[in-house]
Amino acid sequence: MFDLQGYGPSILDGARLTVAVALVSLAIAMVLGLVTALAKLSGMRAAVIAATVYTTIIRGVPDLVLMLLIFFGGQVLVNDLAPMVGYDEYVDINPFIAGCLTIGFIFGAYMGETFRGAILAVPVGLLEAGAAYGMSRGQVLIRILIPQMMRHALPGFGNNWLVLMKTTALVSVIGLEDMVRKAGLAAGATREPFPFYFAVGVLFLAFTTVSVLALRWAEKHYSAGVRQV
Amino acid sequence: MHETASGRAAEHHAAEHHALVCEDIHKSFGTLEVLKGVSLSAHKGDVIAMLGSSGSGKSTFLRCINLLETPNSGQVFVGGELIRMANDKRGEPQAADRRQVERLRTRLAMVFQSFNLWSHMTVLQNVIEAPVHVLKKPKREAIEQAEALLEKVGIRARKNDYPAHLSGGQQQRVAIARALAMDPDVMLFDEPTSALDPELVNEVLKVIKDLAEEGRTMIVVTHEMGFAREVSTQTVFLHEGRVEEAGPPQEVFEHPKSERFQQFLAGTLK
Repeated sequence: MFDLQGYGPSILDGARLTVAVALVSLAIAMVLGLVTALAKLSGMRAAVIAATVYTTIIRGVPDLVLMLLIFFGGQVLVNDLAPMVGYDEYVDINPFIAGCLTIGFIFGAYMGETFRGAILAVPVGLLEAGAAYGMSRGQVLIRILIPQMMRHALPGFGNNWLVLMKTTALVSVIGLEDMVRKAGLAAGATREPFPFYFAVGVLFLAFTTVSVLALRWAEKHYSAGVRQV
Repeated sequence: MHETASGRAAEHHAAEHHALVCEDIHKSFGTLEVLKGVSLSAHKGDVIAMLGSSGSGKSTFLRCINLLETPNSGQVFVGGELIRMANDKRGEPQAADRRQVERLRTRLAMVFQSFNLWSHMTVLQNVIEAPVHVLKKPKREAIEQAEALLEKVGIRARKNDYPAHLSGGQQQRVAIARALAMDPDVMLFDEPTSALDPELVNEVLKVIKDLAEEGRTMIVVTHEMGFAREVSTQTVFLHEGRVEEAGPPQEVFEHPKSERFQQFLAGTLK
Protein backbone atom coordinates (compact mmCIF):
# COMPACT_ATOMS: atom_id res chain seq x y z
CA MET A 1 0.00 0.00 0.00
CA PHE A 2 2.90 2.35 0.78
CA ASP A 3 4.91 1.32 -2.20
CA LEU A 4 6.12 4.53 -3.88
CA GLN A 5 6.85 2.55 -7.02
CA GLY A 6 10.14 4.24 -7.72
CA TYR A 7 8.74 7.78 -7.31
CA GLY A 8 10.46 8.27 -3.94
CA PRO A 9 13.54 10.15 -5.25
CA SER A 10 11.31 12.37 -7.38
CA ILE A 11 9.22 13.32 -4.34
CA LEU A 12 12.38 14.00 -2.32
CA ASP A 13 13.52 16.32 -5.11
CA GLY A 14 10.22 18.10 -4.76
CA ALA A 15 10.73 18.26 -1.00
CA ARG A 16 14.03 20.05 -1.50
CA LEU A 17 12.28 22.60 -3.69
CA THR A 18 9.52 23.02 -1.11
CA VAL A 19 12.11 23.80 1.56
CA ALA A 20 13.91 26.21 -0.78
CA VAL A 21 10.68 28.05 -1.60
CA ALA A 22 9.78 28.20 2.09
CA LEU A 23 13.17 29.60 3.17
CA VAL A 24 13.45 32.18 0.39
CA SER A 25 9.84 33.28 1.00
CA LEU A 26 10.55 33.55 4.71
CA ALA A 27 13.53 35.82 4.09
CA ILE A 28 11.41 38.07 1.86
CA ALA A 29 8.55 38.03 4.38
CA MET A 30 10.84 38.99 7.28
CA VAL A 31 12.33 41.95 5.46
CA LEU A 32 8.91 43.13 4.24
CA GLY A 33 7.45 42.52 7.69
CA LEU A 34 10.09 44.60 9.42
CA VAL A 35 9.74 47.42 6.90
CA THR A 36 5.95 47.32 7.24
CA ALA A 37 6.09 47.37 11.04
CA LEU A 38 8.56 50.27 11.10
CA ALA A 39 6.48 52.12 8.48
CA LYS A 40 3.33 51.74 10.57
CA LEU A 41 5.14 52.95 13.68
CA SER A 42 7.02 55.76 11.91
CA GLY A 43 4.15 58.21 12.24
CA MET A 44 4.90 59.43 8.71
CA ARG A 45 1.59 59.75 6.91
CA ALA A 46 2.60 58.34 3.53
CA ALA A 47 4.41 55.37 5.11
CA VAL A 48 1.49 54.56 7.41
CA ILE A 49 -1.00 54.70 4.54
CA ALA A 50 1.16 52.55 2.23
CA ALA A 51 1.69 49.92 4.95
CA THR A 52 -1.99 49.89 5.88
CA VAL A 53 -3.11 49.45 2.26
CA TYR A 54 -0.63 46.61 1.87
CA THR A 55 -1.73 44.66 4.93
CA THR A 56 -5.41 45.30 4.21
CA ILE A 57 -5.17 43.91 0.67
CA ILE A 58 -3.15 40.88 1.68
CA ARG A 59 -5.35 39.97 4.60
CA GLY A 60 -8.51 40.36 2.54
CA VAL A 61 -7.64 38.38 -0.61
CA PRO A 62 -7.19 34.58 -0.63
CA ASP A 63 -3.59 33.37 -1.03
CA LEU A 64 -4.47 31.27 -4.07
CA VAL A 65 -6.02 34.24 -5.87
CA LEU A 66 -2.95 36.37 -5.11
CA MET A 67 -0.67 33.63 -6.37
CA LEU A 68 -2.52 33.37 -9.69
CA LEU A 69 -2.84 37.14 -9.94
CA ILE A 70 0.86 37.79 -9.43
CA PHE A 71 2.10 34.95 -11.60
CA PHE A 72 -0.27 35.28 -14.60
CA GLY A 73 -1.18 38.93 -14.11
CA GLY A 74 2.47 39.80 -13.50
CA GLN A 75 3.41 38.03 -16.71
CA VAL A 76 0.99 40.14 -18.74
CA LEU A 77 1.98 43.33 -16.96
CA VAL A 78 5.71 42.78 -17.45
CA ASN A 79 5.21 42.01 -21.15
CA ASP A 80 3.07 45.09 -21.60
CA LEU A 81 5.63 47.28 -19.89
CA ALA A 82 8.81 45.76 -21.32
CA PRO A 83 8.42 47.24 -24.86
CA MET A 84 7.93 50.69 -23.34
CA VAL A 85 11.44 50.56 -21.92
CA GLY A 86 12.75 49.23 -25.22
CA TYR A 87 12.82 45.53 -24.39
CA ASP A 88 11.19 43.56 -27.21
CA GLU A 89 11.63 39.92 -26.33
CA TYR A 90 8.92 37.98 -24.56
CA VAL A 91 9.65 37.89 -20.84
CA ASP A 92 9.00 34.61 -19.08
CA ILE A 93 8.60 34.99 -15.33
CA ASN A 94 10.54 32.33 -13.51
CA PRO A 95 7.92 30.42 -11.46
CA PHE A 96 10.37 29.91 -8.58
CA ILE A 97 10.90 33.64 -8.25
CA ALA A 98 7.22 34.37 -8.76
CA GLY A 99 6.25 31.79 -6.14
CA CYS A 100 8.74 33.04 -3.55
CA LEU A 101 7.81 36.66 -4.19
CA THR A 102 4.10 35.94 -3.83
CA ILE A 103 4.44 33.94 -0.64
CA GLY A 104 6.97 36.42 0.75
CA PHE A 105 4.61 39.25 -0.14
CA ILE A 106 1.64 37.56 1.56
CA PHE A 107 3.51 36.67 4.73
CA GLY A 108 5.28 40.02 4.86
CA ALA A 109 1.90 41.46 5.82
CA TYR A 110 1.34 38.92 8.61
CA MET A 111 4.91 39.31 9.84
CA GLY A 112 4.38 43.06 9.80
CA GLU A 113 1.54 42.76 12.30
CA THR A 114 3.52 40.35 14.47
CA PHE A 115 6.60 42.59 14.45
CA ARG A 116 4.57 45.71 15.10
CA GLY A 117 3.15 44.24 18.29
CA ALA A 118 6.58 42.99 19.32
CA ILE A 119 8.20 46.39 18.78
CA LEU A 120 5.53 48.05 20.89
CA ALA A 121 6.37 45.63 23.71
CA VAL A 122 9.99 46.87 23.89
CA PRO A 123 10.41 49.48 26.64
CA VAL A 124 11.14 52.87 25.03
CA GLY A 125 13.78 53.59 27.67
CA LEU A 126 16.05 50.88 26.27
CA LEU A 127 15.99 52.51 22.84
CA GLU A 128 16.54 55.93 24.41
CA ALA A 129 19.53 54.58 26.28
CA GLY A 130 21.00 53.47 22.96
CA ALA A 131 20.47 56.91 21.45
CA ALA A 132 21.84 58.61 24.58
CA TYR A 133 25.06 56.63 24.22
CA GLY A 134 25.64 57.88 20.69
CA MET A 135 24.22 54.98 18.70
CA SER A 136 22.91 55.75 15.23
CA ARG A 137 19.32 54.80 14.36
CA GLY A 138 20.61 51.74 12.51
CA GLN A 139 22.65 50.64 15.52
CA VAL A 140 19.68 51.04 17.85
CA LEU A 141 17.64 48.92 15.44
CA ILE A 142 20.18 46.13 15.10
CA ARG A 143 21.81 46.11 18.53
CA ILE A 144 18.75 46.76 20.68
CA LEU A 145 15.35 46.81 19.01
CA ILE A 146 15.61 43.56 17.02
CA PRO A 147 17.12 41.40 19.80
CA GLN A 148 14.60 42.87 22.27
CA MET A 149 11.58 42.37 20.02
CA MET A 150 12.50 38.80 18.99
CA ARG A 151 11.32 37.42 22.30
CA HIS A 152 7.92 39.03 21.87
CA ALA A 153 7.75 38.24 18.16
CA LEU A 154 8.68 34.55 18.31
CA PRO A 155 5.31 32.99 19.18
CA GLY A 156 3.56 34.84 16.34
CA PHE A 157 6.55 34.39 14.07
CA GLY A 158 6.46 30.64 14.68
CA ASN A 159 2.79 30.46 13.73
CA ASN A 160 3.41 32.45 10.57
CA TRP A 161 6.29 30.21 9.62
CA LEU A 162 4.26 27.03 10.01
CA VAL A 163 1.43 28.45 7.91
CA LEU A 164 3.93 29.76 5.36
CA MET A 165 5.48 26.36 5.00
CA LYS A 166 2.09 24.81 4.32
CA THR A 167 1.22 27.60 1.89
CA THR A 168 4.15 26.57 -0.31
CA ALA A 169 1.85 23.80 -1.56
CA LEU A 170 0.17 26.54 -3.65
CA VAL A 171 3.22 26.94 -5.89
CA SER A 172 2.24 23.71 -7.60
CA VAL A 173 -0.58 25.61 -9.35
CA ILE A 174 1.92 27.81 -11.16
CA GLY A 175 3.82 24.80 -12.43
CA LEU A 176 6.61 24.64 -9.89
CA GLU A 177 7.74 21.07 -9.25
CA ASP A 178 7.45 21.06 -5.49
CA MET A 179 6.68 17.86 -3.61
CA VAL A 180 2.92 18.33 -3.87
CA ARG A 181 3.10 18.54 -7.66
CA LYS A 182 5.52 15.60 -7.83
CA ALA A 183 3.10 13.57 -5.76
CA GLY A 184 0.27 14.62 -8.05
CA LEU A 185 2.20 13.48 -11.10
CA ALA A 186 3.02 10.16 -9.47
CA ALA A 187 -0.58 9.72 -8.37
CA GLY A 188 -1.81 10.39 -11.90
CA ALA A 189 0.65 7.98 -13.45
CA THR A 190 0.00 5.12 -11.06
CA ARG A 191 -3.69 5.86 -10.32
CA GLU A 192 -2.85 5.37 -6.64
CA PRO A 193 -3.06 8.77 -4.99
CA PHE A 194 -2.98 7.62 -1.39
CA PRO A 195 0.66 6.57 -0.83
CA PHE A 196 2.04 9.67 -2.55
CA TYR A 197 -0.09 12.25 -0.78
CA PHE A 198 0.41 10.38 2.44
CA ALA A 199 4.18 10.62 1.98
CA VAL A 200 3.87 14.36 1.30
CA GLY A 201 1.79 14.77 4.45
CA VAL A 202 4.43 12.96 6.48
CA LEU A 203 7.17 15.14 5.01
CA PHE A 204 5.27 18.34 5.88
CA LEU A 205 4.75 17.04 9.37
CA ALA A 206 8.47 16.29 9.67
CA PHE A 207 9.38 19.81 8.54
CA THR A 208 6.96 21.48 10.90
CA THR A 209 8.08 19.29 13.80
CA VAL A 210 11.71 20.27 13.25
CA SER A 211 10.56 23.90 13.04
CA VAL A 212 8.69 23.68 16.32
CA LEU A 213 11.78 22.29 18.04
CA ALA A 214 13.97 25.02 16.53
CA LEU A 215 11.48 27.67 17.63
CA ARG A 216 11.45 26.29 21.15
CA TRP A 217 15.22 26.60 21.23
CA ALA A 218 15.03 30.15 19.84
CA GLU A 219 12.47 31.19 22.42
CA LYS A 220 14.77 29.99 25.15
CA HIS A 221 17.72 31.75 23.54
CA TYR A 222 15.93 35.10 23.25
CA SER A 223 14.54 34.84 26.74
CA ALA A 224 18.05 35.05 28.18
CA GLY A 225 18.00 37.78 30.78
CA VAL A 226 14.31 37.45 31.46
CA ARG A 227 13.62 36.47 35.01
CA GLN A 228 12.11 32.97 34.99
CA VAL A 229 9.11 32.97 37.25
CA MET B 1 24.25 80.59 36.32
CA HIS B 2 22.71 82.84 33.75
CA GLU B 3 19.14 83.55 34.50
CA THR B 4 18.57 85.90 31.64
CA ALA B 5 19.49 85.87 28.01
CA SER B 6 21.31 89.19 28.33
CA GLY B 7 24.97 89.44 27.53
CA ARG B 8 24.71 86.72 24.93
CA ALA B 9 27.91 87.66 23.14
CA ALA B 10 29.92 87.38 26.31
CA GLU B 11 28.34 84.03 27.05
CA HIS B 12 29.22 82.66 23.64
CA HIS B 13 32.78 83.46 24.37
CA ALA B 14 32.49 81.93 27.82
CA ALA B 15 31.01 78.73 26.35
CA GLU B 16 34.46 77.73 25.21
CA HIS B 17 35.71 77.55 28.77
CA HIS B 18 32.81 75.51 30.06
CA ALA B 19 32.20 71.79 29.91
CA LEU B 20 28.54 72.50 29.26
CA VAL B 21 26.49 75.59 28.57
CA CYS B 22 22.74 75.70 28.04
CA GLU B 23 21.19 78.99 27.06
CA ASP B 24 17.59 79.99 27.29
CA ILE B 25 16.12 76.53 26.69
CA HIS B 26 12.42 76.52 25.88
CA LYS B 27 10.35 73.37 25.52
CA SER B 28 6.63 72.89 25.06
CA PHE B 29 4.58 69.74 24.78
CA GLY B 30 1.57 70.79 22.76
CA THR B 31 0.25 73.88 24.45
CA LEU B 32 1.97 73.13 27.75
CA GLU B 33 5.14 75.14 28.13
CA VAL B 34 7.38 73.03 30.34
CA LEU B 35 10.58 75.06 30.09
CA LYS B 36 10.33 78.82 29.85
CA GLY B 37 13.92 79.76 29.22
CA VAL B 38 16.34 77.83 31.41
CA SER B 39 20.06 78.54 31.30
CA LEU B 40 22.87 76.77 33.04
CA SER B 41 26.59 76.46 32.72
CA ALA B 42 28.99 73.97 34.20
CA HIS B 43 32.74 74.29 34.51
CA LYS B 44 34.85 71.21 34.53
CA GLY B 45 34.46 69.55 37.92
CA ASP B 46 31.18 71.23 38.75
CA VAL B 47 28.45 69.17 40.33
CA ILE B 48 25.14 70.84 39.68
CA ALA B 49 22.18 69.54 41.64
CA MET B 50 18.81 70.37 40.10
CA LEU B 51 15.92 70.40 42.50
CA GLY B 52 12.27 71.04 41.93
CA SER B 53 8.88 69.53 42.55
CA SER B 54 7.51 67.09 40.00
CA GLY B 55 6.37 68.92 36.91
CA SER B 56 8.92 71.68 37.40
CA GLY B 57 10.64 70.66 34.17
CA LYS B 58 13.93 69.46 35.62
CA SER B 59 13.95 66.06 33.89
CA THR B 60 12.80 67.61 30.61
CA PHE B 61 15.64 70.09 30.88
CA LEU B 62 18.17 67.31 31.39
CA ARG B 63 16.76 65.47 28.37
CA CYS B 64 17.06 68.63 26.27
CA ILE B 65 20.81 68.70 26.94
CA ASN B 66 21.47 65.50 24.99
CA LEU B 67 18.51 66.09 22.67
CA LEU B 68 16.44 63.13 23.83
CA GLU B 69 13.91 65.96 23.78
CA THR B 70 14.35 68.58 21.10
CA PRO B 71 14.17 72.06 22.61
CA ASN B 72 11.86 74.50 20.81
CA SER B 73 14.52 77.16 21.16
CA GLY B 74 17.76 77.81 22.96
CA GLN B 75 21.33 76.67 22.54
CA VAL B 76 23.46 73.88 23.98
CA PHE B 77 27.26 74.00 23.90
CA VAL B 78 29.20 70.86 24.78
CA GLY B 79 32.85 71.62 25.43
CA GLY B 80 32.36 74.91 23.58
CA GLU B 81 30.79 73.23 20.53
CA LEU B 82 27.30 74.41 19.66
CA ILE B 83 24.76 71.70 18.81
CA ARG B 84 23.49 72.99 15.48
CA MET B 85 19.74 73.14 15.02
CA ALA B 86 17.67 73.72 11.91
CA ASN B 87 13.96 73.84 11.16
CA ASP B 88 12.41 70.86 9.40
CA LYS B 89 9.73 71.01 6.69
CA ARG B 90 7.00 71.75 9.20
CA GLY B 91 9.08 74.48 10.80
CA GLU B 92 9.85 72.38 13.89
CA PRO B 93 13.40 72.64 15.19
CA GLN B 94 15.50 69.52 14.65
CA ALA B 95 19.18 68.73 15.03
CA ALA B 96 20.84 69.95 11.84
CA ASP B 97 23.46 67.23 11.85
CA ARG B 98 22.54 63.88 13.34
CA ARG B 99 26.19 62.76 13.26
CA GLN B 100 27.19 65.72 15.40
CA VAL B 101 24.49 64.87 17.95
CA GLU B 102 25.61 61.24 18.04
CA ARG B 103 29.21 62.32 18.55
CA LEU B 104 28.40 64.81 21.32
CA ARG B 105 26.11 62.33 23.07
CA THR B 106 29.12 60.10 23.63
CA ARG B 107 30.58 63.00 25.66
CA LEU B 108 27.39 63.26 27.75
CA ALA B 109 26.69 59.94 29.42
CA MET B 110 23.23 59.69 30.92
CA VAL B 111 22.07 57.68 33.91
CA PHE B 112 18.32 57.11 33.91
CA GLN B 113 15.78 56.94 36.70
CA SER B 114 14.67 53.46 35.62
CA PHE B 115 18.25 52.31 34.79
CA ASN B 116 17.38 51.31 31.21
CA LEU B 117 19.99 48.59 31.14
CA TRP B 118 19.71 46.47 28.00
CA SER B 119 18.01 43.40 29.40
CA HIS B 120 19.18 41.04 26.65
CA MET B 121 22.81 41.66 27.56
CA THR B 122 24.78 40.66 30.62
CA VAL B 123 26.19 43.25 32.99
CA LEU B 124 29.57 43.15 31.25
CA GLN B 125 28.00 43.34 27.78
CA ASN B 126 25.99 46.38 28.87
CA VAL B 127 29.15 48.17 29.94
CA ILE B 128 31.20 47.39 26.82
CA GLU B 129 28.37 47.86 24.29
CA ALA B 130 28.79 51.55 23.50
CA PRO B 131 32.60 51.65 23.89
CA VAL B 132 32.93 48.80 21.38
CA HIS B 133 30.16 49.66 18.93
CA VAL B 134 30.08 53.45 19.16
CA LEU B 135 33.58 54.48 20.25
CA LYS B 136 35.06 51.54 18.26
CA LYS B 137 37.36 50.52 21.09
CA PRO B 138 39.11 47.16 20.78
CA LYS B 139 36.96 44.62 22.63
CA ARG B 140 39.73 43.36 24.88
CA GLU B 141 40.53 46.88 26.03
CA ALA B 142 36.84 47.62 26.63
CA ILE B 143 36.46 44.46 28.74
CA GLU B 144 39.48 45.33 30.85
CA GLN B 145 38.16 48.82 31.45
CA ALA B 146 34.64 47.53 32.15
CA GLU B 147 35.91 45.09 34.77
CA ALA B 148 37.83 47.86 36.49
CA LEU B 149 34.70 50.06 36.51
CA LEU B 150 32.50 47.26 37.79
CA GLU B 151 35.05 46.71 40.56
CA LYS B 152 34.85 50.40 41.35
CA VAL B 153 31.05 50.36 41.72
CA GLY B 154 31.35 47.13 43.69
CA ILE B 155 29.58 44.75 41.36
CA ARG B 156 32.29 42.93 39.44
CA ALA B 157 31.28 39.56 40.85
CA ARG B 158 27.96 39.83 39.01
CA LYS B 159 29.44 40.70 35.62
CA ASN B 160 28.01 37.66 33.84
CA ASP B 161 24.52 38.04 35.26
CA TYR B 162 21.61 39.59 33.42
CA PRO B 163 20.22 42.86 34.79
CA ALA B 164 16.89 41.25 35.73
CA HIS B 165 18.69 39.20 38.36
CA LEU B 166 20.09 42.25 40.15
CA SER B 167 18.49 44.52 42.73
CA GLY B 168 17.58 48.07 41.70
CA GLY B 169 20.58 49.52 43.47
CA GLN B 170 22.89 47.04 41.76
CA GLN B 171 21.33 47.80 38.39
CA GLN B 172 21.83 51.52 38.88
CA ARG B 173 25.48 50.96 39.82
CA VAL B 174 25.91 48.96 36.60
CA ALA B 175 24.28 51.85 34.72
CA ILE B 176 26.80 54.22 36.30
CA ALA B 177 29.65 51.93 35.22
CA ARG B 178 28.14 51.92 31.72
CA ALA B 179 28.20 55.73 31.75
CA LEU B 180 31.78 55.87 33.07
CA ALA B 181 32.93 53.49 30.33
CA MET B 182 32.33 56.32 27.84
CA ASP B 183 34.83 58.45 29.77
CA PRO B 184 32.35 61.31 29.35
CA ASP B 185 33.04 65.01 29.83
CA VAL B 186 29.72 65.50 31.61
CA MET B 187 27.48 62.95 33.31
CA LEU B 188 23.75 63.53 33.34
CA PHE B 189 21.84 61.88 36.18
CA ASP B 190 18.06 61.81 35.82
CA GLU B 191 16.69 61.16 39.31
CA PRO B 192 19.08 58.23 39.78
CA THR B 193 17.63 57.13 43.11
CA SER B 194 13.92 57.82 42.64
CA ALA B 195 13.05 54.30 41.47
CA LEU B 196 14.92 52.61 44.32
CA ASP B 197 13.69 51.14 47.55
CA PRO B 198 14.75 53.43 50.41
CA GLU B 199 17.34 51.00 51.75
CA LEU B 200 19.07 50.91 48.35
CA VAL B 201 19.34 54.68 47.87
CA ASN B 202 22.52 55.14 49.85
CA GLU B 203 24.63 52.61 47.96
CA VAL B 204 23.94 54.55 44.76
CA LEU B 205 24.40 58.00 46.31
CA LYS B 206 27.71 56.82 47.74
CA VAL B 207 28.96 55.95 44.24
CA ILE B 208 27.82 59.31 42.82
CA LYS B 209 29.44 61.11 45.73
CA ASP B 210 32.74 59.33 45.08
CA LEU B 211 32.58 60.46 41.46
CA ALA B 212 31.98 64.05 42.57
CA GLU B 213 35.04 63.86 44.78
CA GLU B 214 37.10 62.65 41.82
CA GLY B 215 36.19 65.85 40.05
CA ARG B 216 33.68 64.47 37.54
CA THR B 217 31.47 67.09 35.95
CA MET B 218 27.88 66.16 36.68
CA ILE B 219 24.36 67.46 36.39
CA VAL B 220 22.20 65.61 38.89
CA VAL B 221 18.43 65.93 38.87
CA THR B 222 17.39 64.72 42.29
CA HIS B 223 14.97 64.79 45.18
CA GLU B 224 17.73 64.06 47.67
CA MET B 225 18.18 67.37 49.52
CA GLY B 226 20.95 66.05 51.75
CA PHE B 227 22.88 64.94 48.71
CA ALA B 228 22.43 68.28 46.94
CA ARG B 229 23.51 70.17 50.01
CA GLU B 230 26.51 68.03 50.75
CA VAL B 231 27.86 67.17 47.32
CA SER B 232 26.87 69.83 44.81
CA THR B 233 28.97 72.85 43.91
CA GLN B 234 25.86 74.58 42.56
CA THR B 235 22.26 74.01 43.48
CA VAL B 236 19.58 75.04 41.05
CA PHE B 237 15.92 75.12 41.94
CA LEU B 238 13.47 74.94 39.07
CA HIS B 239 9.87 75.96 39.43
CA GLU B 240 7.29 75.96 36.65
CA GLY B 241 9.93 75.87 33.96
CA ARG B 242 12.11 78.66 35.32
CA VAL B 243 15.20 78.86 37.49
CA GLU B 244 13.85 80.24 40.77
CA GLU B 245 16.98 80.00 42.83
CA ALA B 246 20.57 79.14 42.03
CA GLY B 247 23.89 79.34 43.80
CA PRO B 248 26.34 77.51 46.00
CA PRO B 249 24.45 75.11 48.27
CA GLN B 250 25.58 76.74 51.54
CA GLU B 251 24.04 79.97 50.32
CA VAL B 252 20.78 78.73 48.85
CA PHE B 253 20.01 76.34 51.67
CA GLU B 254 20.94 78.78 54.44
CA HIS B 255 19.54 81.94 52.90
CA PRO B 256 17.01 81.07 50.20
CA LYS B 257 15.93 84.24 48.43
CA SER B 258 12.97 82.83 46.57
CA GLU B 259 9.74 82.31 48.43
CA ARG B 260 9.02 79.21 46.33
CA PHE B 261 12.30 77.63 47.36
CA GLN B 262 11.61 78.42 50.99
CA GLN B 263 8.28 76.66 50.64
CA PHE B 264 9.94 73.78 48.84
CA LEU B 265 12.49 73.38 51.63
CA ALA B 266 9.76 73.49 54.21
CA GLY B 267 7.97 70.78 52.28
CA THR B 268 4.91 72.90 51.74
CA LEU B 269 5.23 73.65 48.05
CA LYS B 270 2.15 72.52 46.24
